[in-house]
Amino acid sequence: MSKELNIPVRYIPVTSYPATVNAFRTKSLDLVWFGGLTGVQARLQTKGSKVIAQRDIDERFHSVFIANTSSNLTRIKSIEGLRVLKGKRFTFGSESSTSGRLMPQYYLQKAGVKTTDFKGRVPGFSGSHDATIALVQSGSYQAGVLNEKVWESNLRRGRINPSKVIVIWKTPKYHDYHWLAQGNLDKRFGKGFTEKLKNTLLGFNKKVPNQRKILNLFQANRFIPSNSSNYNNIERIGRQLKKIR
Amino acid sequence: MKKIYLNHTTLTFFPSLAIIPVFIAFLRESHSGGFEIVSDFFIAIIYPSFNHVVIESAWRGLQVTLCTALLSWIFSTSIGIMLAVISSNVFWKAFDIDESVGVFIRRCLAIPRAIHELVWGLLLQAFLGLSPLIAILAISIPYTAIVSRVLSDQFDSISQDNLIAIKQTGSRPLSTFITASINKMIPIIINYGGYRLECSLRSATLLGVFGLGGIGTELQLSFQSLEFREMWTSFWMLGLLMLGLENIIALFRNKFLSKATLSWKSLRNLIITLFVIFIFSLTWLRVLDINLFTDISWHHITIPSVIDFWQASLELEWIRLITGTLLLTFLSAGIAIGIPPITMMLVPTRLGIKLQSCLWTFLRLIPAPISAMILLLCSSPSIAVAALALGIHNLGVMGRLLKEGIDQQNNNLFNAIQASGANSNSTWLYAKLTVQSRSYLAYAAYRMDVLLRETAVVGLVGGVGLGWQLQESLSSFYWAQVILVIITFISMTIIGETISDRFSRYLLNSKSPIGIALKP
Repeated sequence: MSKELNIPVRYIPVTSYPATVNAFRTKSLDLVWFGGLTGVQARLQTKGSKVIAQRDIDERFHSVFIANTSSNLTRIKSIEGLRVLKGKRFTFGSESSTSGRLMPQYYLQKAGVKTTDFKGRVPGFSGSHDATIALVQSGSYQAGVLNEKVWESNLRRGRINPSKVIVIWKTPKYHDYHWLAQGNLDKRFGKGFTEKLKNTLLGFNKKVPNQRKILNLFQANRFIPSNSSNYNNIERIGRQLKKIR
Repeated sequence: MKKIYLNHTTLTFFPSLAIIPVFIAFLRESHSGGFEIVSDFFIAIIYPSFNHVVIESAWRGLQVTLCTALLSWIFSTSIGIMLAVISSNVFWKAFDIDESVGVFIRRCLAIPRAIHELVWGLLLQAFLGLSPLIAILAISIPYTAIVSRVLSDQFDSISQDNLIAIKQTGSRPLSTFITASINKMIPIIINYGGYRLECSLRSATLLGVFGLGGIGTELQLSFQSLEFREMWTSFWMLGLLMLGLENIIALFRNKFLSKATLSWKSLRNLIITLFVIFIFSLTWLRVLDINLFTDISWHHITIPSVIDFWQASLELEWIRLITGTLLLTFLSAGIAIGIPPITMMLVPTRLGIKLQSCLWTFLRLIPAPISAMILLLCSSPSIAVAALALGIHNLGVMGRLLKEGIDQQNNNLFNAIQASGANSNSTWLYAKLTVQSRSYLAYAAYRMDVLLRETAVVGLVGGVGLGWQLQESLSSFYWAQVILVIITFISMTIIGETISDRFSRYLLNSKSPIGIALKP
């Protein structure tokens, strides 16, 4: 990117969800790869910030509900079927994860399942999608929910034992991850910079070896344009579930 | 009528009662479903990744973490010592000023102490932006307050008679205080200060999440994707560093304390050494391309209104949150405090103690969220799993403190009791533990503080208590709720401290042991 944009670009890994939002709000970061919920939280707290792109897979994102086979949970046909999870030991992923918590909790609520309905009156928060698979596969939690892409990649890598853990329901599609840029980039780096940044991202293609490597790490074929209205639904649900105030 | 006497030594064993319910609950819910993953975790210990990318990035991370730890350690111990002086009762007594000034300062210092360093990190970052300095501040603020509490208690344990005697010679208040305390306090400060470096290293690891990088980031990323072999590459490096530092400090401590009297020259050398380490760490961070002083500016958050606070308080299930937090704190404290004296008494041989010491290093090395995950793969979620995860991590710390105390004790009493023909277990109990029990219990009280804050990091087991609630409120940027939960933590810390102060004063003042009457 540094080469394409002609400015020094520095990668700063921040692994805590709220820390990333704070870092963006305080303008310590100029461009961030956000999850759906954290992206909305950051944008609402940072005047002028813009959604510039997402992956091709992000406009049709899904979460999968999984269950341990010994729990006797079977495939669910409609959203109301989620009611069978009442009284089960259930785990989400991270507290701020869109696919591991927010959207699943929304569908659970829609089906009439409150988080206090799970065994022990509280759900678990495994901390990551991979951990959710491990904990459900072990049987410690009878069911859980995670990002569909992580489930698929674990299946491909042979890390899932299908006799122990199965998918019981896939959520409808929703918009998830996206690139969020500060609103003052044009002012700082010259007119049209944000557009140039956007085009650089959109121009990534698998024919160029370096870019292929990056796209593969993102599990994407390419980046596509996006805008904030794609995330109106997440904002509404975030407010409803009190993750956005 | 028989009487059971509660003295310091019996009190040391008292917390171990918590082990029984925790183990029963854990075993009752245990299963073998996680066997494969748990065995992968343990196999990875002897089979870490040697991929050069993994090693290179862990090596860089280790250097960043070490520098962060050294800087926070120097900040927190030096400021902590100063605050310890002014928050001790004996200091004010030397000036003939009411000791309540000291008590007041001590209670104020409960505020920074009540907040976990990870939470301090998030709060500071919300106001100051992302900067490597945040990690150092986030560790230094609570650590300064911890050091000052521990050392002020030690200042206060100085014999009052000495102070009065020196004062009657007509010496000035400040010199009275220094003369009365310096010889007793220097060894304590050196011992305790050395131990704080390892604590700083552990916290600097945990704080890798703030864009500073560091080995914590490597650990977290490999743990999140369950890449245990990569994770163990980082753990091995961190473990070796921990052991290395422990040995360097022990060497230094023995050299420094071996002299019969402490000279001003050796004190001056100590200060110069610390200053050199300080400059060296700053420069090293620069070499690693980390500039501590960039990008700091003040950013506001909207201050919540009274209505916001009221609304936020209605949304919280106070009774469940507070009882959950207390239960988790007591159970985990029982494990952490109760187990080391028992195992050391049962196996007091040289080899036995060595093996236990290795096990404790291992337990300290593994952060509580990771042990929680491993335990949770073996047993269904319950408060017992959370208590066990927190308990065994802190057990590693308590074990180390007990062993260190005992190592520095002279052997006269031990030899005398052994010569009387007592077996090795009772010799250890009467000659070693009895002598250490008072200071061990004091450390136990401080550990309760730590555990109360650490309840924040085991949300994985099912949101238990206030610690988890704080994470949830922080990730929702619900500042009114964040402030309310923090105030609750502070109040609980102050109440806990007041109770433990009263209790230790009661123990100190009671001429005869406290008796509980039991019917035969």
